[in-house]
Amino acid sequence: MTAAVPTKVAVLGAGNWGTVLADLIASNGHPVTLWCRREDQAREINRKRTNSHYLPGIRLDRGIKATHDLDRAVRGRELLLFVIPSKAFRQVCREMGPLVTPDQFVVHATKGFEASTHCRMSEILRQETCLKQLGVLSGPNIAPEVAQRKPAGTVVASCFPAVVRKTTSFLVSQRFRVYTSSDVLGVELAGALKNVVAIAAGVASELNLGDNAKALLITRGMAEIRRIGTALGAAPETFSGVAGLGDLIVTCSSPLSRNYRVGAALAQGRKLPEIVSSLGMVAEGVNTSVVAHELMQQHGIDAPLFEEVHRVVHRGDDPSVALERLMRIAPHADVR
Amino acid sequence: MLRLQERHIREDVVARVVARHAAEAASPGGRPLAEVINEFVYHERERLRREEDGSGTSPDSAFLAAVRRDLPRAGRAREIDLLTRIVGRYADEIGGHFNPLVYGVATRALPLALSALFNGLSPARLLLHPESAFRLSDQVALQGDREWLCRLARRGTLVFAPTHTSNLDPVIMGYALYRMGLPPVAYAAALNLFTNPIIGFFMRNVGAYAVDRKKTDPLYLEALQAHSTLLLEHGRHSLFFPGGRRSRSNRIETVLQPGLLGTTLAAALDNLAAGRSVGVYVVPCTISYPLVLEAATLIDDHFKAAGKARYIIEDDEFSQVRRWLDFITGLAAIDQQVTVTLGRPLDPFGNDVDLDGGSLDPRGRPVDPRRYVLVDRDVRPDRERDAQYTKDLAGRVTASFLADSVVFPTHVLARACFTVLRRSFPQPDLYRLLRFLTPDSTLSWDEVELEAVSLLDRLGKLAADRRIRLAPATRHGSREVLSRALASFGTYHARPVLERSGHRLVIGDSGLLVYYSNRLHGYGLPGDIDPGEASA
Repeated sequence: MTAAVPTKVAVLGAGNWGTVLADLIASNGHPVTLWCRREDQAREINRKRTNSHYLPGIRLDRGIKATHDLDRAVRGRELLLFVIPSKAFRQVCREMGPLVTPDQFVVHATKGFEASTHCRMSEILRQETCLKQLGVLSGPNIAPEVAQRKPAGTVVASCFPAVVRKTTSFLVSQRFRVYTSSDVLGVELAGALKNVVAIAAGVASELNLGDNAKALLITRGMAEIRRIGTALGAAPETFSGVAGLGDLIVTCSSPLSRNYRVGAALAQGRKLPEIVSSLGMVAEGVNTSVVAHELMQQHGIDAPLFEEVHRVVHRGDDPSVALERLMRIAPHADVR
Repeated sequence: MLRLQERHIREDVVARVVARHAAEAASPGGRPLAEVINEFVYHERERLRREEDGSGTSPDSAFLAAVRRDLPRAGRAREIDLLTRIVGRYADEIGGHFNPLVYGVATRALPLALSALFNGLSPARLLLHPESAFRLSDQVALQGDREWLCRLARRGTLVFAPTHTSNLDPVIMGYALYRMGLPPVAYAAALNLFTNPIIGFFMRNVGAYAVDRKKTDPLYLEALQAHSTLLLEHGRHSLFFPGGRRSRSNRIETVLQPGLLGTTLAAALDNLAAGRSVGVYVVPCTISYPLVLEAATLIDDHFKAAGKARYIIEDDEFSQVRRWLDFITGLAAIDQQVTVTLGRPLDPFGNDVDLDGGSLDPRGRPVDPRRYVLVDRDVRPDRERDAQYTKDLAGRVTASFLADSVVFPTHVLARACFTVLRRSFPQPDLYRLLRFLTPDSTLSWDEVELEAVSLLDRLGKLAADRRIRLAPATRHGSREVLSRALASFGTYHARPVLERSGHRLVIGDSGLLVYYSNRLHGYGLPGDIDPGEASA
């Protein structure tokens, strides 16, 4: 028997997307460590090759080694893939801070802002750890579809070409394409902001507004995302790409997303606290809507769709009234 | 010893630059040497045409002609020889003004000599008004952790990186380092300072190296960077202005020149590769002036259409003895000190360091800096990666500039007036707003005072959060601050920037008003001009 290949990658976070990323890497022939918050979850993955809570019915690759010991998960790995919800992101960064070294690369795949500080995830990584060689992974990636080995693609962005190269080498395969970028800010903003448009898509669907309206929502939503993003310094072309338009289309088309469900529930006349408690988790778009609203005010950005979503979600406005307001905006140029 | 080191440095500069290009030319798809030399020919011809009207009589012209003659027939060996001679001439010029025999001694004597110079300029004045004798110690206040910096200076090489407002900056810095007991520094000075009638003599003798900003040839810039890197590797403490040139608008620099700053990382890489410690520490320094010697020329240049702005100014107040005197007496009269703050040292990756120079992560834990530059377990340079680290460093340096900058009454009054102006003329465009003003435009004193009260309140909060510093003169209530500001504005500038006339405030010089107001840019205070409207 030959000596075991050293494990170069760790995925932190065993939700559905983290688990699928680990599975992708393992099935490409690279052994991978998957860090789980809960010990029983790690045991289930190691023994039964399943993660039944997040990915029912999916059999995981044997190359995944799950652990709930963070130290063992990160120490000595060349690449850390961070797939932790924005709510817990800083906490895990803090725990990881003493364990990592500056030669390690870190790429996160979390779409959203930190609620209390409005920080982006890459900013939190920089504030809490010595890691500087970092990047972001984002795209139209519905985890269960990728788990079922359907074709998909994503974007890896970093200012460090070596980070992009290494991440790509572990992930890319016949069924998963990886596109590259150096616009970390743009890719992070695109991934976070589209969740706000997803809420609007849920509203539109529940109100049965039809496909024309949905197309309008996607294109105008994209225009507003780009406007906010470029005002903050992102490259405009990022938003036409896989992590921008690509992600927005899938989010507005799939009734599975939490943000979409929040929108649908709001259209049924239910109130936010009730929706959040019935979902059992916070949809990122709810918080992102607040952050986006403040950014719009700070930078004097005109984004009517974002404005109306904010009113509906956080001020209890009636969605059909918000729609009327949107339809009454004076005609203006389509593309500016 | 120093003279020998100088020769080694010169030889190493040439060897490094030539080797880099020779290696690139030899690699597949690499840039041929002839192309590099042709680029030299192009840039130098353009420069000489601008400077010499193409008369072609200088040694530079003769050398250029010789290169142009030889290049077409040159084989590889001859190309290397040409390149060696080109870079050699650059290296000679850069280091040529440096006299190792007086380095150190002269640095120590500089403050004394300067005082003598200032006072000697006008013996009559000194006789009539002995109280106006210039003493740097009265007019320059120093802040910073002296012991920590001295300790680091013994353990490694310090790079002092100050804000750049005035040509007085290097003089003030030289004095600050001397007074704090810090070692003398090598300083990359613009070539025109060597010909300045007032301090040219001192520039030649304080360890200054020449930088000719008219030279645009990339080879020249490479030679400069190699020179700076080698100085750091040889343990020469250095001073350079990371903003590149004096801030025209008086805004604190937020964009730094990556080339010079990046030499700290280049030197650290060479140290680490040789198994030594990082050994290079960057000390962000902030020099704050209640009044600026060259304010009028600088803001004037800033307002010129972007294309016409002069990158190099040689005929400003700095070369006029009369203006120096007025400035010095002005400073003495207002009883406020130019303040130099030496900030917390950083490693070349932009990390904080501990008392012994060990790198720290953002949470204060020790971190091994060698690991930032490992590629497959070896220390290796990587252009794109290293550029990102230098960007991090630049970000830390500019943050330090903002936090360590000192607010004087002149800044408070100018900003309060500007905010009031903006409110009454809500023009989107600063230039149009300024065109509205006549030499006799006035503002309501009460309105300005109200604005100043609220501004001082916000500044107080920023200072409490350690995001800015307040000069002692700003701590005595708004009345006192405004009257001190008016007194300051009345002393030095050709006409008072602002003058009180009963219940009105007369704007004497709107350009200078904007200039002094701009020092408070970047803190999110009312009256900030949009970034796109007027860049630094």
